[in-house]
Formats: sequence, C-alpha cells, structure tokens
Amino acid sequence: MTAPVFAPDPLVADAAERAFADLARSYYAQSAALRTEAREALLAAVERLGFSDALPAPDGRKSWAQAAPILRAQARAAAPIDMAWLLATGDRQGAIAYDPERYDARGGPLPEREESRLALALGRLQQIGAALESALELTLGYVRDRRQFGRALAQFQAIQHSLALGAEDVAATNAAADWALACAATEGLASARLPYLLDCAALVAGRAIERVRDVCHQAHGAIGFTREYALARYSLDLLRWRDSLFALRGGELACAERLGDRALVAKSLWRALTAAMNSGGTEG
Amino acid sequence: MRLRFPVCPLPPEAERLRAEVREFVAAELAAGLWKPGGDFSSHYDADFSRRLAARGWIGMTWPRRYGGAERSMLERFVVTEELLAAGAPVAAHWIADRQSGPLLLRYGTEAQRAEFLPAIARGEIFFSIGMSEPDAGSDLAAVRTRAARVAGGWSLTGRKVWTTFAHRNHYAIVLARTGDAQGDRHAGLSQFIVDLRAPGVEVRPIVNMAGAHEFNEVVFDRVFVPESRLVGEPGAGWAQVTSELAFERSGPERYLSSLRLAEAALACAGERPSARLREALGRMAAGLLALRAMSLAIAAQLAAGEMPNLEAALVKDLGNAFEREAVAVFRALASELSPPSAEFLAALAETTLYAPSWTLRGGTREILRGLIARGLGLR
Ligand SMILES: Cc1cc2nc3c(=O)[nH]c(=O)nc-3n(C[C@H](O)[C@H](O)[C@H](O)COP(=O)(O)OP(=O)(O)OC[C@H]3O[C@@H](n4cnc5c(N)ncnc54)[C@H](O)[C@@H]3O)c2cc1C
Repeated sequence: MTAPVFAPDPLVADAAERAFADLARSYYAQSAALRTEAREALLAAVERLGFSDALPAPDGRKSWAQAAPILRAQARAAAPIDMAWLLATGDRQGAIAYDPERYDARGGPLPEREESRLALALGRLQQIGAALESALELTLGYVRDRRQFGRALAQFQAIQHSLALGAEDVAATNAAADWALACAATEGLASARLPYLLDCAALVAGRAIERVRDVCHQAHGAIGFTREYALARYSLDLLRWRDSLFALRGGELACAERLGDRALVAKSLWRALTAAMNSGGTEG
Repeated sequence: MRLRFPVCPLPPEAERLRAEVREFVAAELAAGLWKPGGDFSSHYDADFSRRLAARGWIGMTWPRRYGGAERSMLERFVVTEELLAAGAPVAAHWIADRQSGPLLLRYGTEAQRAEFLPAIARGEIFFSIGMSEPDAGSDLAAVRTRAARVAGGWSLTGRKVWTTFAHRNHYAIVLARTGDAQGDRHAGLSQFIVDLRAPGVEVRPIVNMAGAHEFNEVVFDRVFVPESRLVGEPGAGWAQVTSELAFERSGPERYLSSLRLAEAALACAGERPSARLREALGRMAAGLLALRAMSLAIAAQLAAGEMPNLEAALVKDLGNAFEREAVAVFRALASELSPPSAEFLAALAETTLYAPSWTLRGGTREILRGLIARGLGLR
C-alpha cells in the first residue's frame, strides 16, 4: 500500500486552528468602526505566528502540505482575512480587503500570474471544503438540540437523510480538492495534470455548495437566515469562494467543457480520467 | 466528524497492470469473444471468468497457498475497474471474488479455504448471496430460514429471494437462523456454504423488468448441510455479514454502471460536438473523479484491515445517484448525436431499464442514508 502523499503537519494545523479561532472571536466582538483596525491586528498576528513561511512558492512543493491546514482553519473559524489570497499572491493588502459581510457575485480580483491563479484556486478548494464541513457540523449540532413536536429534529428521518446527503457532498468535495492539492504538492503548479484535477474539483465543489447550503439552511429554519448566527458566515464565504473559484477557472461551463474536450480528444472519458489521476505517467 | 477520504494514488505497478488489462480486453474484443454490455451483476460468461482466472485476476489478493497471487488491493481495484469500464462479462465470478472468498479467508476453516479458494481463483466455482427473503429485505435480521442441528451437520429449511444467478452458480452463502434471538435480533444467525444442487434445494426463476432471468427464488426443504459448511461461529452470522459490507458497497461497480452510455455518446459525437454534450461529459468526469478518489481511499483502508462501513455506504449512495443521473442526462442529449449509434441506443435502453435496481441492490438508498446518519451521530 502506498502512503498518502499529502500529510499536513499536525503542529501547524493545531496552531492555525487555535490562532484563527481566537482572532475571529475578537474580530466579531468589535464594533463596526473598529473592525478595520482589528483586521490589521489579525493580519499582524498571523504574520507573527509565522504562517507566511508556508507561502507555497510555485516549486516549494512541501509547503502545500502546510498551507492546507492553515486555509482550513481560517475557513472553519470564518476569520475575516483572505488567507488563500495571501498564500497564493503574498499580497497583504488584498488579504485584508476581504469583507466578510459583503457579497457581490463577480468573484473578486484575479491574480495576474497564472501560477498564482492556480495556487489561489487550490486554496479556495481547501477553504470551501472546510467551510462545507463546518456548516454541516454546525447543523448536526443544531438538529440535535432543537426540538419540535416533542422531539429533537435529529430524530426525524427526513432530516437524517437530508444531512446524510450533505455529508456525501462534503466528502466528495474534499476528496476531489485533496487530489488536486496532492498533485500540486508532489509535482508543482506546472504539473500537466493539475488543470484537469482542478476543473473536476471545482465542479464537484460548485455542486456541493448548492446542495449543502440548501440542506443546512433548511434544517436550521429561520435562525440560520440571520446575520449573527454562524451559518450565515459559512454560507456567505461559500458563495464568495465559489464565485472566485470559477472566475479563476474561466467559469463553470468552461471547466465542464474543457473536461469534456479532454475526453473527446482521448476518445474516451475513462482514459482521460485515469490518465489525469495517474501520477506515474506509466499508463499504456 | 470523520469525512475525509485520504488521497490514495495508484502505485506504478498498479498502473502497469492497467495496461495489461487493457491489452487483454482488446484481444478478447478483437477475437469477438463477447460484446461490451450489462454490468457486474448481469453480464455472465463462465468461460470469460476462466480466462481471467488464467491470468491470475480472480482472488488476486489472496495468499498463494489458496490459489491467490498476493497482489495488492489497489491492483485488484485496477483490474475490476478496467473490466467494468470495458463492459466485460464479469458476473459469474464477481460475488465469489468480491465477497464470498474474502469472507472465507477471514472466517472460514482451514479446510474450507483449501477447498474453495483455489477453485474460485481458477474460475471453476461461482457463488451467490443468500441473504434476502420475502419478509426480510432491508430488515435483514428478520430472516426466517432456519438451520437446525442434525447428526453430522444442519438441516436447512426456508426461502430466499432475489438470489442472483443461483441457477448458474455453484454455491450460495446463506444467512439462516440457528438460535433464538433472545431479545437481540442480531443474535442466533449463522452463515452456511450451501451447494445449490444439493437434494432439497429448488431454484425457481424470477424474470426481471428488463426481461432477463438473473435473480431467483431459492427454496430449501430440509437440505442437509454438513458441519464442515458452517462459516465461522454459530450465532456470529450478523457480525460476519456486516464485515462483507464494505467490500460489497465501496467498489467501482457502484458508480460505473452508466459509464458505457457516456462513452457511447462520445463515440458518436460527430465532427463538432455540441457545447451541451461537452459539458455533460465534463460534469460526468468530475463526478467520476470524486467517486473514484473516495473508492480508492476505501480500498486502501480495507487493505490496512480496517472496516470503513460508513465510508462505503457514502460511496454507494453517492455513486448510485450519480450513475442514475447520467442516464437522464445522456438520454436528453440523444438528439445532439450525429446520429445516435446502435451502441448508444443499446446502452441507453439497458441503463434505463436497469437503473431502478441500482439504488436497491446491495442496500437501498434509504438504508444507506440511515447508516450515514448514524455515523453522523443523528441516531
Ligand atoms: C437486481 C437485484 C439483485 C439482487 N440480488 C440479490 C442477491 O443476489 N442476494 C440477495 O440476498 N439479495 C439480492 N437482492 C435483494 C436486495 O438486497 C433487496 O432488494 C434490498 O435489500 C431491499 O429489500 P426489499 O427489496 O425487500 O425492499 P424493502 O426492504 O421492502 O424496501 C422497500 C422500500 O422501503 C424502504 N425502506 C425499508 N426500510 C426502511 C426504513 N427503515 N426507513 C426508510 N425506508 C425504508 C426501502 O429503502 C425501499 O425503498 C437483489 C436486489 C436487486 C434489485
């Protein structure tokens, strides 16, 4: 059996987890006027913690394994700083410009360099995977607590099954995202397989976001549609990151059509897929 | 919540094996030995299974002393997915290779392993699953087929249904009640290797909606089952059945049932494939990639001796929905083909007819979602 190629450092993961949780708490406790300052402070703290060392230079492959837990921790904490942007571009200002409370559907700015775009797309996928996981976890906790008709919502089979579906989509998103990340981690951003894996992962994520958001909001009822409640933060992040991801890849349809073209050129969907998932290049 | 499926790339030796399997398939097709079609539980050809066995591709992960090739679970994964992708006639040996053999390897006696495993690996004997009954479907613990102790063994009486290929296979692993439930419905169940040609066994055909005779009703009337055919411990049947589930539910057969339809559409896409067709092929690739990544992760966990039943339920439910959706997508695209080939129309008819069974066989969608919900701590 081969060992997983992509093994993040648990220490980095742990430090990131705690740091972002604290920082996000302090940010969301601030009044609106103080938030810009708080974000600056947050960024300074992030830099002090040394996470910028994890900045994945195009050929700094090992650092991809470090970047993933940082991005995931940021997404889970809904910390108001765009770590994916920072890690992909090194642009501090752009990372702060991130406003967790505003949503517009244009997908945000695009980095100039193609390598940075690939890196940012990989980052978005990790953020999305973690935010989906967090939204689902929040929902699982909520349906166990909330009672209607004399029982916990979790006891209704309709609720159980819809959350089971949510879990499937979350798992699929992370599985596909991790394949793309592992490819970049072992072969670098110039890997010829990477665009195929990224396009697949983006389509899987796009679909999951649609469905998991639906499941989570539905199970929460009205409370999930309020600004204070944490689901709103995950939900907005997911929308924003989805737009950004597809903007980086030229649009959702472009992803799908490119993959379709690969199948047509290979004269087989299966052959195109197995070739793109083969890291050794030994396929006959 | 444990929902991550670790990245498990295929090692180079597995990819080399893929090339060998593709050559083997190409040679079979060139010789006109079979036509692509059906799936793991409908396309039956015992001669094909024997040729496959001659290549060492049945029971290939088992120890050499039992006729295996001691190859890895990931190499087996490659062989099975390539055969399914090619629409090869794998149904004869499928169950024996996938679950009856591994069951015997894990719980069987030395004598059972020595008797059955090499014969399975040679493609000489094939197995059916004897679990479902008229009153025990999803609620499998409700089985009423009973085995009572008699001199030298057991006397089996009862009725199984939906027993796929019982009319062509040699044995079935039958789940039967051997003791009282005593408050625990999962207690008192045992598994037996039952010779489907033994006196007292009657196999009656049940024709499916697609017009094929694949499954059967199997009636046991005081069938003598020697002691040597009890699998594992008497009363431990439930735990043993459960241990088969991850093997049964996580493999590529749970998401590849409509791949051939997509490939057939691609083959008659014409000079200028429409954007809609390209999009559909691309979306199919994406879904396939995620499922394959997950299925590979499970294969690696199984290889490590783990029992990822929750993950397997997840893959099967997601995979069945995916393969079902693809049928609808490519049906709608038929008018974009130039023109739809005979292969496409045949694959469309077949997948359309069989699709309702995909979310039933091997555990229904609702049962799988219930299992996942339990894994999520909701029940
Ligand atoms: C093509 C095919 C081949 C098969 N081959 C074999 C074989 O070789 N050997 C074998 O043993 N069996 C075989 N089966 C049987 C298969 O395992 C059963 O069909 C399956 O377990 C469901 O049982 P059932 O058909 O009795 O449906 P039921 O259990 O009666 O279920 C009917 C419907 O009710 C739903 N339902 C049941 N319980 C619940 C619940 N608690 N909550 C919500 N919904 C529920 C089910 O999901 C389903 O939708 C085969 C089936 C098919 C379709």
